[in-house]
Amino acid sequence: MPFQMLSPFVIETQSLCKAYGPQRALDGVTLQVAPGAIGLLGPNGAGKSTFMKCLLQLQPITSGSARLLGREVGSEGREIRKRVGYTPEQDCHIHGMVGCEYVTYCAQLCGLPFQVARQRAHEMLDFVGMGQERYRKSDTYSTGMKQRLKLAQAIVHDPEIVFLDEPTNGLDPKGQAQILELVHSLWKIYGITVVLSSHLLHDVDRICEQIIIIARGKVLVHDTLQNLKAQKRGAAEVVVADRHQELQTACEHRQWPCELLSNGHLKVEHKAASLNPLLTLLHELKLAPLEIIPSPNALEETFVQALEISHAAA
Amino acid sequence: MPLHDTSYQHWEGRHLGLWRRRRVIAQNGLTACLQNKWMRHLILLCWVAALVMASVLFLVGQLLVADSVVVQWVGNFNPGLQAFARMLTTWLEQHPEISVRTTQNVLFYFFCIGLMRISIFAMGLAMPLLITRDLASNAIIIYASKAVSRGDYLLGKFATAFGLIALTWLGPVCAAWFLGNLLGPDWRFFWHSRAALGHALTYGLSSMAVLSLLALGVSAISVKEKSTTALWFMWWIVGAVVAPIATQTQPWLRHVSFSYNLDQLALAVFRLGDDLKIAQNNIPILGNLLRGIRAGTMAALNTPALWGSMLALFLMLGLAAVIIGKRVKPE
Repeated sequence: MPFQMLSPFVIETQSLCKAYGPQRALDGVTLQVAPGAIGLLGPNGAGKSTFMKCLLQLQPITSGSARLLGREVGSEGREIRKRVGYTPEQDCHIHGMVGCEYVTYCAQLCGLPFQVARQRAHEMLDFVGMGQERYRKSDTYSTGMKQRLKLAQAIVHDPEIVFLDEPTNGLDPKGQAQILELVHSLWKIYGITVVLSSHLLHDVDRICEQIIIIARGKVLVHDTLQNLKAQKRGAAEVVVADRHQELQTACEHRQWPCELLSNGHLKVEHKAASLNPLLTLLHELKLAPLEIIPSPNALEETFVQALEISHAAA
Repeated sequence: MPLHDTSYQHWEGRHLGLWRRRRVIAQNGLTACLQNKWMRHLILLCWVAALVMASVLFLVGQLLVADSVVVQWVGNFNPGLQAFARMLTTWLEQHPEISVRTTQNVLFYFFCIGLMRISIFAMGLAMPLLITRDLASNAIIIYASKAVSRGDYLLGKFATAFGLIALTWLGPVCAAWFLGNLLGPDWRFFWHSRAALGHALTYGLSSMAVLSLLALGVSAISVKEKSTTALWFMWWIVGAVVAPIATQTQPWLRHVSFSYNLDQLALAVFRLGDDLKIAQNNIPILGNLLRGIRAGTMAALNTPALWGSMLALFLMLGLAAVIIGKRVKPE
């Protein structure tokens, strides 16, 4: 029977609770999440991983209900997992298997016939940028290779939603950028919903459209990044090729606090709801900006603010 | 730069069923086991033993008919022995159902007991590949995140262990029975030896299931390969040493040994005591010989400690189930 989406939401939870003894890792989480690139943010121990594990049935739910791709998690777990990919945070592989065998095996576990599984395994290893290393035993892989392998096994069966738990952990900046680029393309180009759990705001800011902030097992914020940025308007980062000093002086003249950042960007607090005053100024100065980043720290400020409220409430 | 398309491709095919996915787990485990050189040697040894058994069945079959090639060949060395064989076969020819049944039942009993030992050894070699390595490398999370449940995973691993023992035990038994009777002097040997095969299969299949589950339990105890392998061999060897000593002092202690319990099960299934009685009552010459068997041995053959062994095996299986339940979790 073909798998059909029974709801416009990919994730729906109702008063979802998960307790480890007296400690509540998830406390009444109620959410309705539409498809897209979703960032799951929170400090360490906030309940991000537990939330994903409950949705994947890796952890039993204490109370409440959860639906994934429109189906009940408790009763249709196997059917759901055929359409779901997951990269765990910790290092995990099957001992003694070479990379391409491992990905093939994972595809077979999701119900792909062997020939198809083998072909897709190679395609996915190509996609994540693994070359001849795929013929080596996965036990010998570097951290970067292991992260790529984890991503390949998560998408080899062509899932509709992929849960990525800290996928850039242990990677160098170049590796991080490559993995994030791949993840970004999954939703933007191929239409696979991505749930990216991270405590790195920059990663989430770069690729996600929806943000869920969790702390102490509760959802503090669930909104689109666009809306969050709209709430934090009044600042922008301007990238210019030269004449930084001139722009800085002009801003200060208008009493807009201004700061030259270490990356060469000029952070301007123009205090307006739109970018128009800033654009007018640049026009007056006949200065062509290379890039303008509106509300550059919106996510960070929202995150910190949400945590402060959470701490105060506790 | 790659010469081919490295972009993501969607897949629109049909998923395979649950039993195929379980089979994939079993197949993968079995393949990993067969990559071990010693395991392949052990399996080869079992199949060579099957050929030897088939040869023995052929020779015994020849002894059960008058003027067979073997009887004539024996006459070249010892005419007295030939005369004895002829006298024996005269009677045996009249009661082939008893002679074939009894002989093959006894032979298959010893063959099964021997193969069980080799299978236990094979389980020891396969111990890390059952669950231990998956626990050590966090592979359980990977399985749990795919379209298989914990039950499916365990079923697949059980099939791995069972399949391995089938290669070292069930396969050789069936092959030896078939080949031995195929080479027999009479097609009716297939029919007359059905009880021996039935006993071998009943005992073999039940013991294979018990051994597989026990092996899974031991394999789940630790994440260290050496620990689980050592534990399995220690349990086997210490049990085998303790059982005969305990028989004299604390009889219940002998049930600590799973191989002792399986031996008792074998005695209960093959019912060798019945065969010896039939032989005693129907073959006058053998009757005198068999009366020489010690009373203690006859008592052991006639009344195996079946219920104690069954209870002990159930307790062991329960313990294995608890260990598996506690240990084989995604976290």
